[in-house]
Amino acid sequence: MTFAASNGTDVVAGDLADAVAAASLTLARAFAAGATLWCVAPEWPAHAEHVAVEFVHPVIVGTRAFPAIPVGAADPVAGVRVLARPGDVVIVIGTTRATGIRPLLRRAGAWGLTSIWLGTGPRPEAAWADHLIWLQGPDAHGPGPGVPGEAVDFVLAYHLLWELTQVVFEHPGLLTAPVDEPAGEVCITCSDEGRLAEVEAVTDDAHADVLAGGRRESIDVRLVDPVEPGDLVLVHAGVAIAVVDGAEP
Amino acid sequence: MSDRARESTRAAEPTGFLYPFIDAEERDAGSLLAELAGSARRKIAESQAVRRDALRACAAMIDAAATAMCSSFLAGGRLFTFGNGGSATDARLVTSRFLDPPSGRALPSICLDDDRAVITALANDVGFDVVFARQLRAHARRGDIALGLSTSGGSANVLEAFAAAHDIGLTTVGLAGYDGGSMAVSGHVEHCLVVRSDSVHRIQEAQDALVSELWTQVQRRLDQVDPR
Repeated sequence: MTFAASNGTDVVAGDLADAVAAASLTLARAFAAGATLWCVAPEWPAHAEHVAVEFVHPVIVGTRAFPAIPVGAADPVAGVRVLARPGDVVIVIGTTRATGIRPLLRRAGAWGLTSIWLGTGPRPEAAWADHLIWLQGPDAHGPGPGVPGEAVDFVLAYHLLWELTQVVFEHPGLLTAPVDEPAGEVCITCSDEGRLAEVEAVTDDAHADVLAGGRRESIDVRLVDPVEPGDLVLVHAGVAIAVVDGAEP
Repeated sequence: MSDRARESTRAAEPTGFLYPFIDAEERDAGSLLAELAGSARRKIAESQAVRRDALRACAAMIDAAATAMCSSFLAGGRLFTFGNGGSATDARLVTSRFLDPPSGRALPSICLDDDRAVITALANDVGFDVVFARQLRAHARRGDIALGLSTSGGSANVLEAFAAAHDIGLTTVGLAGYDGGSMAVSGHVEHCLVVRSDSVHRIQEAQDALVSELWTQVQRRLDQVDPR
């Protein structure tokens, strides 16, 4: 991380603080609503285990325990697809080079999951996750910098996420999102982009069952090339209007 | 939240974080977000300060530990790592860094937290205090290295492992927090790196910095002694 040597309040530390604060509020609200946190770190599975143990077995007496589980599946897409339920949260820890991260994050919305990407490397577009917690600085292997300011630190970031999530629970009135908040950034029925959905099964020549926003529905697939389970499609008014590359934003 | 709203919430009640709301009618998430971000900034600054202090205070000991580890590796020694909870995952990451580094040479390291069959068998049949010590007695040979992490310095199974390591004649490197706990006074840990903090999280972050520096110095010494 590129910290100023004399204090922790420079621009980058501020970005990290703001990003973790926003993600913590979202995570606390999801826990309050019964969510499980699924932890994925393809390059360093130990980071996923560390996040999970923070929440399951808090080190500070009197703080709440929450369901957080590392996903041990060799293919995190296949694992999270069957493990997670709509309303759950998935946190992915890893670099932009890690295989498996983008296909997983690309599908999280279709499965009804909230996504957090704690990462490093070239900063991806914001659309990749609901919350990007991005560490600047040279790519490093595993935890911690040898010299402050020279490398990334996933551990600090997820420690902060745990600490701030606990703080949110001291504010019970804020554990549910206000009802007047817009449900999404675009109108789901007239958006030019449409909604992203994952094909579950092709039911006949004209239709497929898909998951969109965690809900199952049957859509018309006659306008697009033949699809198969696992494909991502854009759905507009019950019709698939495009097949989407799962690895692109 | 607009910049204007953010500014107004920052200006209000700078000591509000001292008095957690118990009002279930609280509705201003903007105020809470500003409080959370402010808390994060303070913790980031504290983490950096604890790391700097630990690296400075432990510099001579890291130097000595790196020299001993370098000699061990050159003689065919292997590095065994162990810890509990978050420290187990940190031990795993130490092993990853030595065994599969992004640059430099790969060095033999085994994480004693990895083998769930052995750990659960020992815990079930004997007790959790022996899960690392018994593995060291089975696998380690004189001249190998034992590196254990415990934020309290008092984890019984880590202390037992160091006692076994001392018996066998291993190079011993321990990482502890607070005042070093039993680890610092056991007489079984030759190189005991203590992070003087009373926050488990800040201790772990500084321990990560210490082992990262240790890895860097081991690589540098190996390059000097045995250039490739």
